[in-house]
Amino acid sequence: MKRSVILAILAAGAVLAAVPSAGLPAFYESFLYLLFHWIVLAVSWNILSGYTGYFSFGHGAFFGAGIYGTAFLAGKMDWPFLATLPATMFVAALLGVALGAVVFRVASIRGEIFALLTLAVTFILATVILNTRIDGGPGIYLISMEIPKLGRTQSASIYAMGLLAAVTTLLVAYLIYASKFGTGLFAIHDDEDVAEVMGVPTYRYKLYALAVSCALAGLAGGIHASFVSYVTVSETFSILVPLSVVLMSILGGSRHWFGPAVGAVAITSLLYYATSGDYAVAGRASVGFILVAVILFMPEGVLGLYSQWRRRRNAPAATEGGTAHAPAVPVPSAAARVVRRPAGPPLLQVEGLSKAFKGVQALNDVTFDVRANEILGLIGPNGSGKSTFINVVSGHYKPTAGRIRFDGRRLEGLDAHRFAQAGISRTYQIPRPFAHMTVLENVATAGMFGGNGSGRAAATEAAREFVEFAGLGHRAHVRPDDLNLHQRKFLELARALAARPKLLLLDEVLSGLTPGEINEAIAMVRRIREGGTTIVFVEHVMRAVMALTDRIVVLNHGRLIAEGDPAAVMDDEQVKVAYLGKSHA
Amino acid sequence: MINLRKIAVAAVAAIGLAGALPVSAQTPGPVRIGSTLALTGPLSATALVHKLAGEIYIEDLNKRGGLLGRKVEWIVRDDQSRPDLARTLYEQLVTSEKVDLLMGPYATGAILSAIGVAQRYNKMLISHTMGIPSLAKYDMHFPAWSLGPDPAQTVPTTVFEGLAQTNKPPKTVAVVTSKFPSIHFLSLGAREIIKKRGLTEVLFLEWEFGNRDFGPIAARVKDAKPDLVWVGDIGLEGNMLLEAMKKIDYEPPMHIHLYPAPGPLANAPEGKNALSLTIFEEHAPYTNDPVAAQFVKTFGERAKQAGLPYTAVETQAAASFTAWQILEASIVATNSFDDRKMADWLKANRVKTIHGTLRFDRGNNFGDDLMRMKQVQDGRWVTVWPKEWAPPGATIRTQ
Repeated sequence: MKRSVILAILAAGAVLAAVPSAGLPAFYESFLYLLFHWIVLAVSWNILSGYTGYFSFGHGAFFGAGIYGTAFLAGKMDWPFLATLPATMFVAALLGVALGAVVFRVASIRGEIFALLTLAVTFILATVILNTRIDGGPGIYLISMEIPKLGRTQSASIYAMGLLAAVTTLLVAYLIYASKFGTGLFAIHDDEDVAEVMGVPTYRYKLYALAVSCALAGLAGGIHASFVSYVTVSETFSILVPLSVVLMSILGGSRHWFGPAVGAVAITSLLYYATSGDYAVAGRASVGFILVAVILFMPEGVLGLYSQWRRRRNAPAATEGGTAHAPAVPVPSAAARVVRRPAGPPLLQVEGLSKAFKGVQALNDVTFDVRANEILGLIGPNGSGKSTFINVVSGHYKPTAGRIRFDGRRLEGLDAHRFAQAGISRTYQIPRPFAHMTVLENVATAGMFGGNGSGRAAATEAAREFVEFAGLGHRAHVRPDDLNLHQRKFLELARALAARPKLLLLDEVLSGLTPGEINEAIAMVRRIREGGTTIVFVEHVMRAVMALTDRIVVLNHGRLIAEGDPAAVMDDEQVKVAYLGKSHA
Repeated sequence: MINLRKIAVAAVAAIGLAGALPVSAQTPGPVRIGSTLALTGPLSATALVHKLAGEIYIEDLNKRGGLLGRKVEWIVRDDQSRPDLARTLYEQLVTSEKVDLLMGPYATGAILSAIGVAQRYNKMLISHTMGIPSLAKYDMHFPAWSLGPDPAQTVPTTVFEGLAQTNKPPKTVAVVTSKFPSIHFLSLGAREIIKKRGLTEVLFLEWEFGNRDFGPIAARVKDAKPDLVWVGDIGLEGNMLLEAMKKIDYEPPMHIHLYPAPGPLANAPEGKNALSLTIFEEHAPYTNDPVAAQFVKTFGERAKQAGLPYTAVETQAAASFTAWQILEASIVATNSFDDRKMADWLKANRVKTIHGTLRFDRGNNFGDDLMRMKQVQDGRWVTVWPKEWAPPGATIRTQ
């Protein structure tokens, strides 16, 4: 978090606070108020939708809750105007949390389904307001509402409230953006399942983000009621608000805390510029054309482009090419001697573990232990249940039956982030890095949320070591898209290690690598174990399995068919049958 | 040798002197009148009618020498159908562009925004179609649409008095209405009048503005078997309701629509004999006024050129034209552009307009209710009540 940014926001607020006393025509207060209004709405929308990727078309509902909160309380219940503002923030936040508490529980409600659902909330709320005494049909006229005197005129007072709301919103957006919370939200944006497995409490974080977003939209609505002075359902709950804030955020860059503010200023100014009566339609059409062009050529928005430019500038010159720098670990020869370790006490105990998918029994009554400080090989033919096992033991899937005891604690039934916090970390067979984060950010995120977790600064500092360890130091500031497969696999590894796990689940980390790269990886896995981490090693590359593992467990059709010393297990008849089939000769 | 320095000094002095001359010694600039209209956005179809009517009026006014010898310049801004933008634009017109006079925008929300600005800067504001008189509390606001101070009572009274004169006066009424603010209160008023006049309300239903599914409403109306359907509609809602009725083989005996889109209802087969409200139609006695007749002619031609869907002058265009008549009358009478003087004069005097003589001395300056009833007869709208505004021989037709 940079203090300079916070000071810059406050300084800009202080300068703008002086506008009403600068002797400018009062119209400027009114116009600047509109900018503040849209900044609050767009930036607050972005806290949920930009940061987490949950595109909401329901911002109009929360804004409407604010506008009608003030209109009803001040216009019909005679509350003082200022007292209505915290009430509207609370009502809007409550509405959001009530919605989120239900929809965030359902994994399938993401993307367009979430967007449509939130849009439906707008219509429902409009219907309720229109058909109850909150409005009842005629609208609420607020001309007699007393506006607190915060400036020499009424316009100046509304201006001051708008400015205060905008400064507050920008501060909140930045503080979230630069915090561990913000990192968690961005992780949700890129891959929610991975974020959860990595330790991000996704449900809780989404609810918090939604509550903050809604409260700020409610505040904008409450203040705006005093600006428009006549509140009707059709105008309040029109599609204008959600469409505008989406457009503003995309134009400015929804990945950046300040992006929506840039978009809000640009679009509001452009639309205002196009208010000439002679060319009204042409003016608005040209604004639309400009926006389409900008969004087409700058899909990440203005500040997205800026961030991209900064990343390129910060990246060292020699960042190209598919050949990674040699990892900072000694590379053993392929025939390196296998050193077996003495078995420690059980770290992970699974008992009767089963997982079924609509009748397909992917895991069937699997029971075994993983002992502390060992490398346990988990092998089996394709479809044997290895990846399902990893998914269940990392919390991604909840088991259908059975127990998972880890480090003395029962974990089955808990959310995935609790598994990560308990000290279990994993890689994915097909790398699933956070696409919009740099290599360093990817690794730091794991450090913030896995295991005991650490602060953002400490995690970033520690991440540098893991990035170096994985041989990606020279690629620390590029995005995963710029890495080759080998590097992406090592990024997976670095990310898993950054959580400082007690148990590391490696899911086919060697697949797709060249023999030389496999050697590097084997050396790295050894180094990891030497650091005191227990490893479950799922792999098809038998050379690596035999070189690394202390024990082997074999699954076939979801059942455990063999367990023990690698050489003995590989000689097991059942294992041979599972891999090679039965001889009918 | 020419002294360039002296020439430059002389030129600067000349320019400075010109700037220092008293205003009266210069040619007076145009009178600048500022307003916004919803030229884009959901209200634009109607606002374009107001723009055209205003342009026609200003062109004619300037041909006649303008106002107090000064040409008139109308500065129109597009409020994009947004009341908040209307407020800011009116503030720009007053405090930054410093226009001399204001003219109102279109639609109630924007008008109320404009009233707030006018009130803060002590400017007079004439509005075209302010639909809810009770909200317009500013003493220098003057409505061109003469609804009277309590249209919820007076408009339904006019309607039911007219219908009582027919050979089949309705005894049972179904009231179905949009919850659009400027319509809803009139429909609620109609319910009271129905009760007062001893008629029976057999059905009351409301829908939300934006509703597109009128099937269930049509079925309920059919079941209620009313003599008259009071339809509190706006735009195409009435057409949609009638189409839904047609689908279930139902034709209401009589139906009155509050603010329908005039063209589509007149042209639809099911719109036959539909009743509605008006302040002006293109026939005598309105067109006996040569000003009105000329406006009707010009508007028809220009509306056709502009591609407007309905080229006849009716309530919206007439109210717009009337607004400019009120402004001109107050300036000419007071020989001044002083907002306060003009407002005081309007409160104390009557103004002859194309849809009648208006007064502004009561009820938020809303004067008399000049709303009349019209009917689709042979594919065109005809005023049918009160009789003095109906063309010769026209009466209310019943089934």
